[in-house]
Amino acid sequence: MSSPTTLALVALFAPVAAAILLAALPMVRRRGAPAAVLCVLGSVVSFGSALALLRDRLENETPALLTASWLPSASQSMAEVGVRADAVSASMLVVVTLVALAVQIFSLGYMHDEEPPAFGRYFTYHALFLFSMNVLVVAPNLLQLFAGWELVGVTSYLLIGFYFKKPSAARAAVKAFWVTKFADMGLLFGLLVLFSATGSFGWDAHLEPAVATAVTLLLFLAVVGKSAQFPLHVWLPDAMEGPTPVSALLHAATMVAAGVFLIVRANPLFEQSETTRTVMLALGSCTALFAACLALVQTDIKKVLAYSTCSQLGYMVAALGAGSLMGGFFHLTTHAFFKALLFLCAGSVIHAVHSNEIGDMGGLAKKMPLTATCFIAGALALAGIPGLSGFFSKDLVLEAVEGKLHGVPWVLLLLTAFLTAFYMGRVVFVAFFGKPSNDKAAHAHEPGWSMRAPLVVLMLLSVGGGAMTSTFARMQHEPYHFHMGLGPSLAAALGLGGFGLAYSVYGRAKPEATPGAIAWIERLAERRLVNRFYEWGFHKVTLAVADSLAWIDRYVVDGLINILGYETLEAGRRMRAVQTGLVPDYVLAVVIGVIGVAAWGFAR
Amino acid sequence: MTHLLSMIVAAPAVAALVIILLPAGALAAIRLTALAGALVSLAGSILAHATYDRAASGLQRVETYPVLPDLGVHLRLAQDGWTGPLLLLTGVIIFAGVVASWHLEKRPKEYFVLLLVLVSGVFGVFVSQDLLIFFLFYELAVLPMYLLIGIWGASHEVPAAGPFAVVWKRFAVGDKQYAAMKLTLMLLVGSAAILVAIFLLYVSSGAKSFDLGYLASVRYDRDVQIVAFPLIWLGFGSLGGVFPFHTWSPDGHASAPTAVSMLHAGVLMKLGAFGVMRVGMVLLPEGTQFWVPVVGTVAAINVLYGAFCAMSQTDLKYIIAYSSVSHMGVIMLGAATLTTAGWNGAIFQMVAHGIMTGLFFALVGLVYERAHTRAIRKMGGFAKVMPGVAAFFTLACLSSLGLPGTAGFVSEFVVFVGAWKSGHFLWTIAGVLGAFVTAIYVLRATRTIFWGDGPNEEFHELSEAKGTEWVALVALGVGIIVLGTWPRLVLDQIDTGSATYLTRALATGAQVR
Repeated sequence: MSSPTTLALVALFAPVAAAILLAALPMVRRRGAPAAVLCVLGSVVSFGSALALLRDRLENETPALLTASWLPSASQSMAEVGVRADAVSASMLVVVTLVALAVQIFSLGYMHDEEPPAFGRYFTYHALFLFSMNVLVVAPNLLQLFAGWELVGVTSYLLIGFYFKKPSAARAAVKAFWVTKFADMGLLFGLLVLFSATGSFGWDAHLEPAVATAVTLLLFLAVVGKSAQFPLHVWLPDAMEGPTPVSALLHAATMVAAGVFLIVRANPLFEQSETTRTVMLALGSCTALFAACLALVQTDIKKVLAYSTCSQLGYMVAALGAGSLMGGFFHLTTHAFFKALLFLCAGSVIHAVHSNEIGDMGGLAKKMPLTATCFIAGALALAGIPGLSGFFSKDLVLEAVEGKLHGVPWVLLLLTAFLTAFYMGRVVFVAFFGKPSNDKAAHAHEPGWSMRAPLVVLMLLSVGGGAMTSTFARMQHEPYHFHMGLGPSLAAALGLGGFGLAYSVYGRAKPEATPGAIAWIERLAERRLVNRFYEWGFHKVTLAVADSLAWIDRYVVDGLINILGYETLEAGRRMRAVQTGLVPDYVLAVVIGVIGVAAWGFAR
Repeated sequence: MTHLLSMIVAAPAVAALVIILLPAGALAAIRLTALAGALVSLAGSILAHATYDRAASGLQRVETYPVLPDLGVHLRLAQDGWTGPLLLLTGVIIFAGVVASWHLEKRPKEYFVLLLVLVSGVFGVFVSQDLLIFFLFYELAVLPMYLLIGIWGASHEVPAAGPFAVVWKRFAVGDKQYAAMKLTLMLLVGSAAILVAIFLLYVSSGAKSFDLGYLASVRYDRDVQIVAFPLIWLGFGSLGGVFPFHTWSPDGHASAPTAVSMLHAGVLMKLGAFGVMRVGMVLLPEGTQFWVPVVGTVAAINVLYGAFCAMSQTDLKYIIAYSSVSHMGVIMLGAATLTTAGWNGAIFQMVAHGIMTGLFFALVGLVYERAHTRAIRKMGGFAKVMPGVAAFFTLACLSSLGLPGTAGFVSEFVVFVGAWKSGHFLWTIAGVLGAFVTAIYVLRATRTIFWGDGPNEEFHELSEAKGTEWVALVALGVGIIVLGTWPRLVLDQIDTGSATYLTRALATGAQVR
């Protein structure tokens, strides 16, 4: 048995080895298929060692550390890099590498029609992403976590902008980067405050209450950006411009969950501030409901899932705000499985009907039975139907928030559970049942094996994931006994109710217009208030400041330098008038001079 | 290798001499001689950096030759902790610059002579331990710029406007001659200030020696220090792009030919910041203490102001030129913190920004050569035709906005740690905001140039980089990543230098001579 740190290192470096090879060897990359093979190979190795590491960590609880000094200062080490192998990093590694592997294999089929250079570029980005994510997951301190955090941001930018010729994709990529980068300033300042207070970037320091609140609130700002919480959620729906498998991996299962992972990791710090936790609980539960409302009125299947992701991330943040590590982390895990599954199914459907609009689908259950089964399984898991993985993790979240803040978050999240079931039911009934709405939907067919196999694996995990609950509890040292009390029963009832309502509205015939009860949400969503606020801030404030400063620089600051030179030249020109070149002028000057000197002599 | 340092300094000058003797038509010989000169210096720099004894630290490889011994002037070369990384930077940039100028058609002979003389001057500044010689090398590095921009540069028009529109009657603002003249005059005024300060220090220390070590051991009157420091700060600072004396820089960089911009923004501007630290802060502790709040505040202005100005530009070269003004602010910000972290970050930023901006200007030259315009609004979709150029441009952008894993992150982060820890919160906030604004304008430029529809008909000559062009891009690009992932390659050594000099800069109660 290899040492745990070696396993973590292998998991970390296998993808980057593939990425470096692909970046350095353009002839391999541009041929396409070999690039995919290399990338998948890297992920297989990474997944294998992650699994071995998890097995090892389940038996051995002491965290294994391997670090090296990264930044020297005054002959001492200011910051280290390395790996930390413990239960948290091991289980996250398994989730990340597993979903990444599934998505990459799915992409073999899904991206098959791309030109070979683009195909190669796609897998190079994937290898780079997996490395970046692993840097974050195994980080022994917050500085390295920050490094991975920023790197996943860049790979997200590159992958959203994968279809860079499309102006909308180019805009979405840049927007995602700017919004998350804005939030990341919080993480950077958090690091600065933490380092000034403790002299290290570790997360286990004991801080003064005020400092703890400052640090954790700053870290939480970055989480709000990365995990698409209100009001910085605006980039996530736009990010759906990327290829669908990318949405599954980065923008549903792993990268956006990095924010939640950060809180889990830095829990010793978050524990010290009740204020921050209250903020998290409030913002998380509000985001959960807010995003669920928006998901109700989306017509693009990927946007429904994107808002659903915001909403479920809100669940996780709320759980962590309520102090339940187990709830947040376990919901992260189950969500990674069923949301990746839903996105990949959506990809399979989009691949078949060449449209994202659920209105262009219909009756797909007959044409694509496997995809339909998988999607429905994922939808039921997400809706929290008893027995499926989502039920157990949601139950943990609800149990954690129960009684907090006068029960308001609990009510909000229960309401969210109901809406979640409703909007997922809507997609299921509109897209997979009824009559095909056009020829393409009528002639849709199942994709090849490379796209079907990952669906099956993820479906099994989404359905049976609940079985892992007690293992998770053991890792978190939290007692866990499931009993069907009021909370779980209520959640289950609401989930089933939501599905039932969706059936009654969308199940038999597609309604012509948006039902009145949610039409107001649609009208509000169309006004894009939050987005317009940012656009105003960018065009009317930032660009205006930039333009006026640039004008001042050119015409005032530089103008002053110019006028200095100009006046010097002008002074010279005026002085030049003295040099007339006419002898009488000079004689006159001499005479005046002589008289002057003589007068001065007499006066003395 | 007892004469390693003099060899590094002399190699480009010797190559320049050889080129003067070659016939103007012998293109291949001229290019190869220039490359040989650059390579000898680069190899020497690598060797000097790798073999510096970090444990012993201090001055090493000392070479002394008398020049005017009666006045205490010696050609004294030596290497300290800061020298190696800066030599390395200069070596890499001149190598990349020569390669990037490989196909230059206009008067290549004179061009390479001037370029190489300039680089000898830069190397000379970094290894000089005698203040007067330091200054002479500094002038040698600065003056060829006038000809390089005036002859090989490019002109463009700036519309007359603003309160001082009258100057357009006499100056063709934006013209290459205008840019060259403005640059030279502003830097010469700076040099005059430096010269005054040098003599002030020389006389106040007893007119015995110009040796930097000796000058640092003297305790000057507080009044002398308070007068001398701003002369040095603004004198060198004018080259270092210190606000509001930075305005030669955007016009100069926009007009200069590719390799000259690479050298000027990549290395020469660093001489300015280096001069402020090595001469001003190390020799004048009390003057530094007195003025440092101003220095840091101006640096913070530089960072934000430069970034905002860059955002508004529509000319590709101006974007990069203003970004240099912004990033030079990070160096001075780090210096002004008077902390080890800040100083480490400042010197590291010299290297990091030098490589990054060298890459930027190499890419801009490449795009300009093919697109025949620098107006980014006309461009679009270039990545389709030049994916490699787009990739390297993105890499330079990422380093510019301080992405972890690139060299730009290390310097900015270390500077911010130094600034925050020493209680300069506003400076830090300005610095971090500057990095965010940088993210806005660099990615906006990338999107406009390389992404989206296009390229349209106008750009039918567009093509991917080829042959020797790759050499410069790969050398600089790999440098960014290597320094970003394993900064200790240079930071360990920088750290020993910062430790020595910071002790002196903080020693207000130093021994009286």
